[in-house]
Amino acid sequence: MNENVSLADSPSQPPDMGHKSLQVEQFSYDNKSVQLFAFATIFWSVIGMLAGLLAAVELYYPGANLNLPATTFGRVRPVHTNAVIFAFVGNGIFMGVYYSLQRLCKARMFSDKLSRIHFWGWQTIIVVGAVSLLAGYTSGKEYAELEWPVDIAITFIWVIFGINIFGTILKRRESHLYVAIWFYIATWVTVAMLHIVNSFERPFSWFKSYSWYAGVQDALVQWWYGHNAVAFFLTTPYLGLMYYFLPKAANRPVYSYRLSIIHFWSLIFIYIWAGPHHLLYTALPDWAQSLGVVFSVMLIAPSWGGMLNGLFTLRGAWDKVREDPILKFMVVAVTCYGMATLEGPMLSLKSVNAISHFTDWTIAHVHIGALGWNGFLTFGVLYWILPRIYNTPLYSKKLAGTHFWFGTIGIVLYAVPLYWAGFTQSMMWKSFTEEGQLKYQFLETVTQIIPLYITRSIGGTLYLSGVLIMVYNLYKTVKAGHLVKDEATSAYPLPKAITTHGKEHWHRWIERRPVQMLVLSLVAVAIGGILEMVPTFLIKSNIPTIAAVKPYTPLELQGRDIYIREGCYNCHSQMIRPFRDEVARYGDYSKAGEFVYDHPFQWGSKRTGPDLAREGGKYPDSWHYNHMMDPRIMSPGSIMPNYPWLLSNEIDTASTAAKIRAMQSLGVPYRSGYDALANTDLQTQARGIREQLAKDKIKTAPNAEILAVIAYLQRLGTDIKSVKP
Amino acid sequence: MAVVTQAKCYHCGDNCGHFPIRIQDHSFCCEGCKTVYELLQAHDMGDYYTLANAPGMSQKEEVRKDKFAFLDQASIAQALLQYHDDQETHIVLYLPQIHCSSCLWLLENLHQLHAGIASSRVNFARKEASIIFHHQQISLREVAELLSHIGYEPAISLQQLQGQSKPVIDHTKRYKLGVAGFCFANIMLFSFPEYLGIDSNDEQLRHLFWWMNVALSIPVVFYSASEFYVTAWKNLRHGFLHIDLPIVAAIIVTFARSLYEVFTQTGGGYFDSMSGIVFLMLVGRVLQDKTYQQFNFERDYTAYFPVAVTRLSEGQERAVALPDIHVNDTLRIHHGELIPADGIIMSGNSQIDYSFVTGESMPVLKEAGEIVYAGGKSMGGVVELLVIKPVAQSYLTSLWNKAEMKETPPVQKSFVHLLSKYFTAGVFAIATAAALYWQLHNAAKAWNVFTAVLIVACPCALLLSNTFTNGNILRLLGHHGFYLRNAQVIENLAKSDFIVFDKTGTLTDTRQQQVHFEGDELTYQQKLQLATLAAQSGHPLSRAIVAHLNMPARSTITGFLEIPGEGMLMGRGEEQVAMGARKFIVGDATPSDPNTSVYASIGGHLLGCFRIHNQYRIRIDQCLLQLKKNFRLAVISGDNNGEAYPLQQLLGTGTDIRFRQTPASKLRFIQSLQAKGHQVIMVGDGLNDAGALKQAHTGISVSDHHNNFTPASDAIIAAASLPLLPQLLRLCRANRYIILFAFFISILYNLAGIYFAVTARLSPMIAAILMPCSSISIVAITAGFSNGLARLTLLNKPTDESHTAA
Amino acid sequence: MMSVIILLLLSSISVAALFLAGFLWSVKSGQYDDADSPPVRILFDPSSKTADNILDHE
Repeated sequence: MNENVSLADSPSQPPDMGHKSLQVEQFSYDNKSVQLFAFATIFWSVIGMLAGLLAAVELYYPGANLNLPATTFGRVRPVHTNAVIFAFVGNGIFMGVYYSLQRLCKARMFSDKLSRIHFWGWQTIIVVGAVSLLAGYTSGKEYAELEWPVDIAITFIWVIFGINIFGTILKRRESHLYVAIWFYIATWVTVAMLHIVNSFERPFSWFKSYSWYAGVQDALVQWWYGHNAVAFFLTTPYLGLMYYFLPKAANRPVYSYRLSIIHFWSLIFIYIWAGPHHLLYTALPDWAQSLGVVFSVMLIAPSWGGMLNGLFTLRGAWDKVREDPILKFMVVAVTCYGMATLEGPMLSLKSVNAISHFTDWTIAHVHIGALGWNGFLTFGVLYWILPRIYNTPLYSKKLAGTHFWFGTIGIVLYAVPLYWAGFTQSMMWKSFTEEGQLKYQFLETVTQIIPLYITRSIGGTLYLSGVLIMVYNLYKTVKAGHLVKDEATSAYPLPKAITTHGKEHWHRWIERRPVQMLVLSLVAVAIGGILEMVPTFLIKSNIPTIAAVKPYTPLELQGRDIYIREGCYNCHSQMIRPFRDEVARYGDYSKAGEFVYDHPFQWGSKRTGPDLAREGGKYPDSWHYNHMMDPRIMSPGSIMPNYPWLLSNEIDTASTAAKIRAMQSLGVPYRSGYDALANTDLQTQARGIREQLAKDKIKTAPNAEILAVIAYLQRLGTDIKSVKP
Repeated sequence: MAVVTQAKCYHCGDNCGHFPIRIQDHSFCCEGCKTVYELLQAHDMGDYYTLANAPGMSQKEEVRKDKFAFLDQASIAQALLQYHDDQETHIVLYLPQIHCSSCLWLLENLHQLHAGIASSRVNFARKEASIIFHHQQISLREVAELLSHIGYEPAISLQQLQGQSKPVIDHTKRYKLGVAGFCFANIMLFSFPEYLGIDSNDEQLRHLFWWMNVALSIPVVFYSASEFYVTAWKNLRHGFLHIDLPIVAAIIVTFARSLYEVFTQTGGGYFDSMSGIVFLMLVGRVLQDKTYQQFNFERDYTAYFPVAVTRLSEGQERAVALPDIHVNDTLRIHHGELIPADGIIMSGNSQIDYSFVTGESMPVLKEAGEIVYAGGKSMGGVVELLVIKPVAQSYLTSLWNKAEMKETPPVQKSFVHLLSKYFTAGVFAIATAAALYWQLHNAAKAWNVFTAVLIVACPCALLLSNTFTNGNILRLLGHHGFYLRNAQVIENLAKSDFIVFDKTGTLTDTRQQQVHFEGDELTYQQKLQLATLAAQSGHPLSRAIVAHLNMPARSTITGFLEIPGEGMLMGRGEEQVAMGARKFIVGDATPSDPNTSVYASIGGHLLGCFRIHNQYRIRIDQCLLQLKKNFRLAVISGDNNGEAYPLQQLLGTGTDIRFRQTPASKLRFIQSLQAKGHQVIMVGDGLNDAGALKQAHTGISVSDHHNNFTPASDAIIAAASLPLLPQLLRLCRANRYIILFAFFISILYNLAGIYFAVTARLSPMIAAILMPCSSISIVAITAGFSNGLARLTLLNKPTDESHTAA
Repeated sequence: MMSVIILLLLSSISVAALFLAGFLWSVKSGQYDDADSPPVRILFDPSSKTADNILDHE
């Protein structure tokens, strides 16, 4: 039904120029790409979960890193999060999108070549990313740890992916864009923006850079990104997959298509503003915090709308669910989505957040999402897709059922202890004796929850075992079948737009010209990008600077970079919230002005160890030295790993000048020409610390990294302490 | 009536009788169904049957061979086409049989059945298929025939020929909603610093946010809210104070004051509340304006008339478009066709089924020389007809064109408008009083207070509770197969106190007839003989008897003779089987036998008679009983009074039951009730009820699964939902109380707001808290109460068909 | 602080505006005029006729 056509004038229309007769077109779906992404999904799921398991074990057995820098918790944890999010879930998204988009558009993917570049490009990024993280190259911002060359590569591959999906959408043979496609589009657009905005950084060497933003700004951008990465990388694409694969697997249409459309648009318009809820009770302005809370709470409505829509799709088919492991996986996935999206807004409430933040509660929360929602939906999709593209039945439905139970019990054993641990630890932190003294030492709150950490790793092991069962099951399936690389099919082309009186809508013109469309959209993106960058150059930072806060000395700066390299922020926060217990335990609460020279910010999100914001001057240098060598010497029962290599490694003084210059360009007020003198100052300060250590009969090499780390730790929070009345 | 369970037709699901046709383990009820099955198998489309259980349409009624011959006429075809060029043709066909996902699949795979079809696409809600085909390979007629052959006979009506096809969907409300939603979300965002305070350092930021809000509110005020201005102005010109009027005033006052605040840098204004209200009111409107695309509430007779008929000129048959028929043309009317114009039968005879026009359920025999009227359906033979009146002046059409029919009853105004009048007056009074007070005490604040009261107490809560309740009730009713033209109908239904029912097709199911045999018990042999005889005739009574006897009919018979209007016989002597009117069989006529009876004899020996009754719809008796508690009832029927007794029993005493009512007298009956001050609901189905449906305060037409045509009306009810009518009406009555209750609750918020306003302490923050709280309460109350009530009253949901509206 | 908030606002609003345009386009092009057929249509895969029973072999 075309509105432009009126009965009176159209029948006598002369044939459209260049018009070719409508014929059913024979074409094929590209299953090769689907297969590649599916294999990658499986492969990285095992790798990502192994890394997670290692990290989990290290939390109660720090020696599991075998005293190697690369296998230390601080470096393994980013590898785990990146591998699970971008490698496992990322490839899962691509697998699902490449499978469903072709079928929803009744068109082969836009370009086989781009599909291949996309696939190998993404895998290369993952490998390079993992290796660089293990080697200590990190930007120090959670979930965005990868360094600038990788960031650029990600942008490039993401654009390739975009061209491929938009090209496919443009040459589609089905006029309606099914709701799943809208979710994919939203994913692409938003992730592109988030990644670009958050990745503004100032390189100072081939593999290192400083975040463009400082302190509070950096935190705001980072968590705006961090939250939205969850929203638009872990949620929207998977909702798209849910809206395609759940009805397919159940062989019944979605409960309410109208609801799914409302779900999409309301989610899109609300999600993007919920980020600041990660920064409650921080130095972020009040109104920005509350904004995050309000939008987070509003999110419950569309999220639950989506969950119910998914579950109601199966109404009247629960007998089928009992039989079919695929549906079982999907039902639990959707339920976990509902739980996580209810819990999320709850955690964003200030009173709840005061308890949950910095504890394992958050870890449990995200794993309900990751293991339940993303993991289980991915498994369901894998079990559904692989037999189809291999044109063979699944090797064993029974094993899939076993996998389901391993996974489900795994999730329970994982999440429950961590909720418990989080709550327990938070309560212990907040306990005071009758005399008004803190009741527990920090270390006590850690040793208390170690049994729960052990249980958690058992849950993780079970979950991983389930995955291995799946790997075997799918291996046997694939062996028995034969990949239908190009799945032949046919469809009518879209009827051409009927022109009336030569009037043509501009969008029709564009729709028929994918190349122009592409150029136009790239131009639009470029303009948008420039517009986005302008303010950073034009507007001066407006933070209430505290006169006493000074830039880091060269040695401290080097120490800070080592702190970041070792991923200390994974366990130590540098943000004291205005609570009685925190002020009593760590010192005066943190002010926005303290962080103006922090590129990147190091507020952290989890306190496996104590907060370090006011660490400076609390202990003598020798305490830090011994503590780094073996934490258990100073704090028996500590779960911190040993850092013996800090004692022997030498500071990379060659980089000092470049670092100073980079900081200067970001607005840190080192006097001009200081880069040339920086190493002299560095040596002087290092010598001072060496002498201090020597007093305690500790001998160190003149340029040992430990000196820089001690310098940094002893500096933390001292600026503001000195001005206290 | 229960019959032993028998095989269900694999194609259409109908009962196959004792002797189904069987191929490949599947049973079929008739040759037609079998043929479709074979056709689909041959084209590798057996999937059709895996997608749903027995998805096909019964093929028992054959489509006449030349039925679509008129599509060969270029002039007719042209008017129906969407587009065509030298190669391809686009057409949208209405296929009322579309009912399940299998239909969608089959119709979208038509190219597998014929290579000439380039593409076909189904709009499930509208039951339409857009088909593109290569006319060099397949003609439009062949497309229609192909569709008919697989069970989806296109319904092509005169209405389409005259270009009055479905209204184009109006998207503007959705655009406005989208824009309002976008602006509202962002304005709210920029208002946060305003609520929670902002550091003095960020003062610049605060001003920037104000300006952003100004920019974002412009599309809301000048585009999204334009709805309200238009309605308010239109009504104002007619001297009517519509509820939108005070809302417009509130929007303008809020916008003006907010602009003033921003320009004078004194505050951030109330852009958030204003855009939020506009957004929510639009949501309410969109909900309330839910349209049922699959139904046409505006049908006139042209929707029923065929596009073309066969005209005989000089011995040649030729299809002509209906508007081109002139007086003195000779038409050939085939079995099952509608008589398009009044005329005299020149040759042949036929049973004419006038149920559609008059409500008389039994066809009447018309022979050469008799006059037949437009709107009757010819059953049985072929007749040639001499047109004596042009289509436009024929009986049925003239009925339609009568003055009463044209007159639109005055538009009823909702009680909400009345309420809004008082409400607005009250608000203005408070605002003025407060302003006066402040004028005396602190003149600087008077203007602020005056506007603040108007902002915080705008009657949007009333409008919200109204539209949201209406929208939800409409949705709930639609869920249960009751579709209203618009929200005002809910209120009209709620006000009604009198329900008038049509009988045939409304209380009874025309497709079902109850047959029972009076006389000696029939032997198997006798039954077989009677069934064989009855099977020879196309008369509806014969068909009913065949269905009742449920016997395998022998095909070879001798000496069959049918005397139209009297009876039929076959065989000779002892073997002679005869059936027919009493006069035909027994010889004497009983004048007072209003029941429809068919007498039967074998070998001259009278066996007894079949009495044929209308079959009342299932559970209609309880429905009427329940309705009687709250309404006065009447039944008007175009039929004879054969059903007087059962009806009387069904309805009890004190109910007006009238028979042999013409369409005009039905209409007059309604008028007479209205003259007595009754609010009347008319429930009917056929065109004969059209006048009454239109005259009544609310006309409800009954839509059968197999006949999607309903006359113009205010509401359409699925036949299966008719027994739910008492509950559905109760829901409509509750509507008003829910609105009032929600409104009452929101007034509490208003009072709180007014308190802050008159004491000159209204801040944007308070407005922003009260606004969503009030709105959320309203939505929660309306949704909660109406859904809860629906669940309470409508526990037994009809199982049939309503899924399309979900 | 201010600069970064403006940056985030601008980028978020421009993306939201992009989505608004998408919404208006989708309404205009009649994407939502028929919400009954699309969810059914995706269930039909002409090329994988036997696939639906693929899991029932065991």
